[in-house]
Amino acid sequence: MFRMGKNDHATIQAILCGDKEAYGTLVASHSGSLFRAAFRITGNEADAEDVVQEAFLRGYRKLEGFESRSNFGTWIYRIAVRCALDRLASRNGRQERRVAEANDPEQDEVQLADETAGPDRLLLSGEIGALQEAAMQSLTPTERTAFVLRHMEDRSSEEIAAALGIHPNAAKQAVFRAVHKMRLRLAALRVRA
Amino acid sequence: MNHFSEDELIAHFYGEDAKSAVTRQHLDGCAQCASAFAEIESDLSALKPVEAPARDEAYGGAVWTRIAHSLPVYEAPRRSWIHGRLIPILSYAAVCALLVAGAFVAGRQWEHARQPRATAEDKAPVQEHVVLVVLDDHLDRSERLLVQLKHADGDSEEISPMRDEARSLLAANRICRQNASEQDDPALATALDHLDHVLAELASQPGGLNAATITRLQNEMKTDGLLFEVRVLRSRIAKHPGAGNHRSMGGTA
Repeated sequence: MFRMGKNDHATIQAILCGDKEAYGTLVASHSGSLFRAAFRITGNEADAEDVVQEAFLRGYRKLEGFESRSNFGTWIYRIAVRCALDRLASRNGRQERRVAEANDPEQDEVQLADETAGPDRLLLSGEIGALQEAAMQSLTPTERTAFVLRHMEDRSSEEIAAALGIHPNAAKQAVFRAVHKMRLRLAALRVRA
Repeated sequence: MNHFSEDELIAHFYGEDAKSAVTRQHLDGCAQCASAFAEIESDLSALKPVEAPARDEAYGGAVWTRIAHSLPVYEAPRRSWIHGRLIPILSYAAVCALLVAGAFVAGRQWEHARQPRATAEDKAPVQEHVVLVVLDDHLDRSERLLVQLKHADGDSEEISPMRDEARSLLAANRICRQNASEQDDPALATALDHLDHVLAELASQPGGLNAATITRLQNEMKTDGLLFEVRVLRSRIAKHPGAGNHRSMGGTA
């Protein structure tokens, strides 16, 4: 979890009073963690860079609505997750990939990005990370984001729900569906191995 | 036995099942669920967190440099008339009112603290002064009556007012005598006691005053001596420090 010092609140007050440069200290403090989360969600370095910038831009515009009792790190992290989710949805739309929320293994086979490496070749090359990424591409943006936050960022269902703007139960179901799809991919790999 | 679903086992893996201890106990006794959980654990453990490309400490500064130019400057919140003028004015007025109220209360307290002491200091002299004035007035009137009695020759025009004056002085004389007794002044008490007898005789002659009665009183009551005593008392009162500027209008013998 992010920890917000007293300085962050003072910095925000200074920004709202006209000290724009003070925002640079917040950007410098939180860019690293935002980039890591953005990269895990988008799976793309350039997209992650854009997400970080977009998050800080959105955050600056919404800074007047920031509640002093909140944690700026958590607040900007949620904004970054939303930006990454938007980026995923936009990218998937451009690639004209059909995104389905249904939990159908056969449909998952269709959804998989076939132009990327298949399980056999990935197994042979031993690129487990690439296989994992290929499996994650079978997920919808919401499932992928929920899975990344749960499995890699160690966020609770409540935190995921807050970041995605959905109910905690919906966040849990998104994680379950993502794990189910991921396991199907890994099961196929295991059989072929 | 009810077995756990995949979702429940996934939730258990992430530590988000409501009854983790119950689930663990069930897994210890259920080979089927334990096997299913072992598979889930193996699969999810194999999914390592994606390692993001490293970013050095200058990364945050670089991000800021890229976005800084597109950010507007927030205007410092303008102070409204209420905040800018009215509140300071009201604050100033409140402070002034507080000071005035404080000064008033302090003055009352100071006055209240002083008042009992002043009263205690002044009460006795004032009371003494009043007593002396009343007594001097009484002796003055008594002296004039005794002078009239001394020179009376039986004229009814002189006698009748004397009896009335004696009756009037009688009540005042008893009060003065009682006060002299309380003040432990035997000379005054004796003189007033003597005066009381004379006044009583003058006021209550059953047949009225006449030349014979007056002569008898002058002789029996020794009014000349009493007149002398009254004059001595009056001179004593005049010398008393509590008598102030009071001057009697004493008669002459």
